[in-house]
Amino acid sequence: MKEELFASGRNIPNIDPYLNIWHWQIPSYLFLGGLAAGILFFAGFFTIMGKENKMEATVKKAPLIVPFVLVLGLFFLFLDLKHKLYFWQLYTTIRLESPMGWGSWVLMIITPISILWAASYVKEVFPNWDWKFKILKTIEAWTIKNRIYIAWPMAIYAVILGIYTGILLSAFNARPLWNTSILGPLFLVSGMSTAAAVIMLMSKDHKERKIMGRIDILLIIVELFFIIHLFMGFLAGSEVQINAANLFLGGKFTAPFFAFVVILGLIFPAVLEVFELKGFKVPIVVPAILILIGGLIFRFLMVEAGQITRYLY
Amino acid sequence: MKKIKNDGSFYLNPYLGGVILGTVLLLSFYISGRGVGASGAVKNTVAATVNAVAPQHVEKSAYYSQFAGGDKRPMNNWLVYEVLGVLAGAFISGIVFNRLKLKVEHSPKITSRRRLIFALAGGLIFGFGSQLARGCTSGAALSGMAVLSFGGYITMVAIFGTAFVVAWILRKNWI
Repeated sequence: MKEELFASGRNIPNIDPYLNIWHWQIPSYLFLGGLAAGILFFAGFFTIMGKENKMEATVKKAPLIVPFVLVLGLFFLFLDLKHKLYFWQLYTTIRLESPMGWGSWVLMIITPISILWAASYVKEVFPNWDWKFKILKTIEAWTIKNRIYIAWPMAIYAVILGIYTGILLSAFNARPLWNTSILGPLFLVSGMSTAAAVIMLMSKDHKERKIMGRIDILLIIVELFFIIHLFMGFLAGSEVQINAANLFLGGKFTAPFFAFVVILGLIFPAVLEVFELKGFKVPIVVPAILILIGGLIFRFLMVEAGQITRYLY
Repeated sequence: MKKIKNDGSFYLNPYLGGVILGTVLLLSFYISGRGVGASGAVKNTVAATVNAVAPQHVEKSAYYSQFAGGDKRPMNNWLVYEVLGVLAGAFISGIVFNRLKLKVEHSPKITSRRRLIFALAGGLIFGFGSQLARGCTSGAALSGMAVLSFGGYITMVAIFGTAFVVAWILRKNWI
């Protein structure tokens, strides 16, 4: 009997040749994180602009869901951890070169801010609400008084969180599809677009929906521009990056990416929103839901495809 | 060109609609190399669903195993995406022609319920027939005739010939 013994560092289960460690939890978190970041940014921005009473759903209603969205997203991240009980150790150190460290600290700051912000508007949205304990009422009164000073860090940290959802992937140098700095702004814009969709769904004010619709069209155009540049950058790059791009330009992700993300998730909702602005009757729920589904599928595809791409062949 | 109805909605001139549909078919052949279709998308969706729920049944079934099971990917099909496009296009058309309302269109002499039951029954028979004929009005008749397929012509004659007779029998549901 002839036996052959192979000794190789190239066959590590779940890591090489293909990464197979990030499942539904990560893209779901990226989606929820981007959505929360977008809502908080708009809430902070319109407060700074002094439009909180004209943009009620943006500033008051939509932020109410953010703490739940963030906590759910963090729970998904927690589920993904291998050593779950050691998650707190992320907070025993500050390491500027660690993307997970950045994310942990940004979330550590923005989650309490979002809870404060949402809590301060609960009484306005639900007039019968009673905080019961005196300390809670004191905190509420303090937050209401200092809203403008909270709005600034909230908007800024929201942008950092939105960019971070892309940086988490792009810091992964070993995967060519992720290793591009355009992912940060791309995920930020995409998250803001999903947030605009949620605000449009929650708003009953025609004027507010029109403003968010206009912003959303602009965001979609910017997002399409980033997607084009993402692939342009890859195609002008090395062989591995060209291979990474080809997964979406003829490869196995082409049809779902262009059908569900680019056409049904971006271009089609933008066209519907343009019709809405032109005065046609469009049920806003359709473009809003399509944007949300497109944003979710986009993150699933990027995480899935990125794990397949690699440097060594 | 536009026939305006009382409620503000209007329809495109049917002849112009036909020319546009023909152009779509031509473009479909030119761009994708395939004709248009509708029942195929439903068939593939059903096959994919059955494969997800009862994969063993798909393996054994002479019909389902043609489309699903093994490494076949029924949802990764041109018709599935085409129908998604049809839905999106129809939605825009509904917006432009002010016809985007949730309603059941039926003769004033019958109830919505009766109309829906007949629609369901007709749909079931048509779906069954489309699988016997290997295509429906779009896939077999329209796309088939466009490439001068004899089967396409027979399907067209059978569909519209039968419809002509059955419409007379069931005319009380409409007039």
